[in-house]
Amino acid sequence: MTRTRSGFRNFFRIGSALVGGLLLTLLSGCNLADKINKAFSLSGPQSTIVVAGPVAQNQYDIFMVTVWVTTGIFIVVGAVLAYATIKFKVPDNHSSDSAPPAQGHGNPFVELGLIVASVVLLVIIAIPTLKGIWFTHDVPEAEKGNAMDITATGYQWWFKFEYNTETVQLPTGGEALLSTANELVVPAGVPVRVHLRTIDVIHSFWLPKLAGKVDMIPNRANFLWFKADKPGYFYGQCAEYCGESHAIMRFRVIALSAADYVKWLDNQKHPARTVTAASTAIDAGHARVEFASLTEVGAHSILSGSPEFDADPLAGWKKHQQISSGENAQLIGEGRRLFSAKTCTSCHTTMGHDGGGIVGPSLTHVGSRSTIGAGVLENTPTRMRQWIKDPEYFKPGNKMYHGYGGMQGYVKLNEKGEQVPNIVLNDHEIDALVAYLQSLK
Amino acid sequence: MAEALAKDHFIGKEHAHGKTFDLFARPTTKTGLVGWLTTVDHKKIGMLYAGFALFFFLVGGFEALLIRTQLMVPNSRFISAQLYNELFTMHGTTMIFLAVMPLNAAFFNLLIPIQVGARDVAFPRLNAFSLWVFVAGAFMLNIGWFIKAGAPDIGWFGYAPLTSKLFTPGLSTDLWVMGLQTLGLSSIVASLNFIVTIINMRAPGLTMMRLPVFCWMALVTSFLLVLAMPAIAIALVEVLFDRHFGTNFFEVSGGGQPILWQHLFWVFGHPEVYILILPPMGYVSEILPTFSRKPLFGYPIVVFSGVAIGFIGFGVWSHHMFTTGMGNVATAAFAVATMAIAVPTGVKMFNWIGTLWGGQIKTRTPMMFALGFIWMFMLGGFSGMMHAAAPADAQQQDSYFVIAHFHYVLIGGATFGLLAAIHYWFPKFFGRLVPEFWGKLSFWIIFTGFNCTFFPMHFLGLNGMPRRTWTYDANMGWNEGNFIATMGAYLLGLGIFTYFAVLIYTFFKGEKCSNDPWDARTLEWSIPSPPPEHNFKAIPTVHARDAWWYEKNHQEEIAKEMAEHMKAEEAHGGIHMPDQSWYPLIAAFGMLIGTFNFIQLHEPVLMFGSQLLSSHLPLALTGLGILLVSCYLWSLEGPGGYHIHLDAQGNATSPRGDHY
Repeated sequence: MTRTRSGFRNFFRIGSALVGGLLLTLLSGCNLADKINKAFSLSGPQSTIVVAGPVAQNQYDIFMVTVWVTTGIFIVVGAVLAYATIKFKVPDNHSSDSAPPAQGHGNPFVELGLIVASVVLLVIIAIPTLKGIWFTHDVPEAEKGNAMDITATGYQWWFKFEYNTETVQLPTGGEALLSTANELVVPAGVPVRVHLRTIDVIHSFWLPKLAGKVDMIPNRANFLWFKADKPGYFYGQCAEYCGESHAIMRFRVIALSAADYVKWLDNQKHPARTVTAASTAIDAGHARVEFASLTEVGAHSILSGSPEFDADPLAGWKKHQQISSGENAQLIGEGRRLFSAKTCTSCHTTMGHDGGGIVGPSLTHVGSRSTIGAGVLENTPTRMRQWIKDPEYFKPGNKMYHGYGGMQGYVKLNEKGEQVPNIVLNDHEIDALVAYLQSLK
Repeated sequence: MAEALAKDHFIGKEHAHGKTFDLFARPTTKTGLVGWLTTVDHKKIGMLYAGFALFFFLVGGFEALLIRTQLMVPNSRFISAQLYNELFTMHGTTMIFLAVMPLNAAFFNLLIPIQVGARDVAFPRLNAFSLWVFVAGAFMLNIGWFIKAGAPDIGWFGYAPLTSKLFTPGLSTDLWVMGLQTLGLSSIVASLNFIVTIINMRAPGLTMMRLPVFCWMALVTSFLLVLAMPAIAIALVEVLFDRHFGTNFFEVSGGGQPILWQHLFWVFGHPEVYILILPPMGYVSEILPTFSRKPLFGYPIVVFSGVAIGFIGFGVWSHHMFTTGMGNVATAAFAVATMAIAVPTGVKMFNWIGTLWGGQIKTRTPMMFALGFIWMFMLGGFSGMMHAAAPADAQQQDSYFVIAHFHYVLIGGATFGLLAAIHYWFPKFFGRLVPEFWGKLSFWIIFTGFNCTFFPMHFLGLNGMPRRTWTYDANMGWNEGNFIATMGAYLLGLGIFTYFAVLIYTFFKGEKCSNDPWDARTLEWSIPSPPPEHNFKAIPTVHARDAWWYEKNHQEEIAKEMAEHMKAEEAHGGIHMPDQSWYPLIAAFGMLIGTFNFIQLHEPVLMFGSQLLSSHLPLALTGLGILLVSCYLWSLEGPGGYHIHLDAQGNATSPRGDHY
């Protein structure tokens, strides 16, 4: 019978419909087995599959329930669909004068049966979903006494973190909440409740390995919780479109053992570190910095973590806590003066030194962070030099370059509405600023 | 006496020498530019809708290719962050409002009157008005590319407070607001027209439960549009007032609640998803029975599940907001409701498979796309169920997993359905058959390219890649997936190019075909290809659900019936057809001028660098004036109309009829 032969031919067509797309997907870009493995191992730094805490684990478990149920449906429905297509296929030139098949209009029992089956399958998904909604919402009752509270505030385009129960003594008297930027350090094994606020537009706090996202919405008191099972270095990112540099609004969470955390906390409560040296006169005669984009950054190179750093990020982060050898006190002192003279202080805090601004990230301990620019660059002197030289290149639209709320940045608008340079730094000044900022451990 | 008057009225006699105000005489030319600009013929309007929609489909596709090129490698500098944000905003807005929706509207126009056995839609001039208002809205949305303001860069969802003057002070956001508002008006007007047409203009014997499934889906879609569009219209008015008149609906500093924008947007936005997918479900429900030579399996349950989807579709909007901290009870309720909507959707899948079962399946090109639709829509449905599990969605929301999901539903679903429909009805409206080999080749390229593009995005999302990001770092494990996706996108682009190249070739050189090349089942296949202006020689009487299938099997009975109907209609003065008009076009033009100038009211009008006017108020008022005056004259120009008389062979005796 012709039907059988065309059935075979069609088997290959349907077969390629099923697996062809998938195979091509796997093979079109690369043919090396390890690359394929890497592409689909799903163990990246923001993986939602290889997770590190109970909230993300619960979310992953529920996801896997949906995967198994839908895979089961796919196998059954797909098999019937493929079988029907092959079995009842006729050639394209099959005469329309031939006798038509039975003109059946349906079967109510089959249809009702399938509806009941669908409902049963959905209940299988619904039960863990409902349980999970309550579990992931807030810290479990039993652990509430143990939980610590953090307030995370979204800015265009960086995160501020405040420790609700940790205060620091201000050098000028009084006290304030311990505050840091873009890198949140927490103790492992302790539930953390993060209160989510925003200063401008909607942002979203997403820490894939530890917890799914919750949005930071103006006039709304959202929160989420997470717990890191073990010490580690975790990547997070803003997940709600928030303007020009949304892509570069990243952050890190560093979970430390209890003892390490106490040490870190103690250092954070100190004011900015001062390197004593005689101030030197600032040479104002240097050439002005061009605002052109940098060329020394390879277009596809890794920005946020060098291979050495990525090999063990937590160790890399710990290294950043150490004071670097060979500090040049004179240069650092000059940088400290420039930090005021170039009006960096209007936006940035360097507690104990001159910085008192609150609209930019606190830089009191910026030297001890592993990244700068909201997670876009690894915090090395070279990267910091590049960042200070041309922040617009790394983070288009950023407020340090464009100004913020009436304060002028690297550029200002003249009376014609054209952008003209405002803050200008020569290479020596940049070196001094980098030396100063790197000393703030 | 009364009878005679009624008859005169019916044949339009009192208009023969009526006193109408004709600033613009009603044009009678059927061809050329004037013929197309003033047309009220539902088929020509459908063609215009399709032409504009396909143009914007290619524009949106080009934007997508730029996006994919930027993301091909990490830390790429191919395009700037600002341009990238404009591109993804306009890609979404264009594909939804300027490509898929008007392409569906094109099929509504082309098919509904014929499938219900009518000669035109209920309100032909209003139909033309919807078309030209749509064109005005499309112009508003895209003009930003060509002026200093730039294209909108706030995302197709335009979340407050990013849309406030503080964060996007420029004109681009206003263009987006007024562009969508204008498109919404077009959709509401068109939908009312289709609702009235489907309910009131059905041929004798065409009961609601004999209505082709496509018409049912069009009816449900039209009701969804009429009910959903006002929600976004209100939200857009609020944004406009916040931006220009100092209100505080979403202004945070004034105590506004940005979260309310999300509710208003998604209570429109979720039904919108079904507005996009229900018509393709209709096409597939027409195509599968034809190529299986079997009626649709479980017609009543397919219709009722379509209606059920429409109803439940209004109760699931907050599943777009699982991460906004709605609270446990609301999250749970919307999660369960979302799972519930999978049931009627699944029912449709089962019934399509039931239609294939026991049939004689010919895998011609439209059928290939229809089968592709079923497979791909099934996969999109599965990832949809994964989103319904709210805790899992907390990881997936705003990641590439969501992008994979909705492209499976909107390309694998809606677009495959539309591509099937274009192939299927192309012979009807152009009288030529698309070459089978090239049609199938384009299907396989599109199918492969599509899966290659979007299947890896599931993994990218699960591996933590957020959406709407201009660039990404090289150490995140996303490099391979993105590269494959970009290659797939180029392949998909090649497939789409092949598809349309073949259509263009067919339009000029394709093999001519009979009136019913597919051995189809619904009324449009009973009339010549391309259909004459008056569609039917005689209004058909519908005897069964698959009306044309029945007619093919009862030819003698139908021929007798048709001769009687032709005689009766001629006795009533002939076939009554609507007159063309300039006013729909002029009214839409006035609206465009008015809105475009209104949103920049307080800006001075500049020309060649010097100030022409101190504000846009005079121009805005001019536009408003054109709109009002043309509506007024529209109502004065009278219903018009003329009659076509047929000879014994069913051809019109004069192309112009008895036009006066």
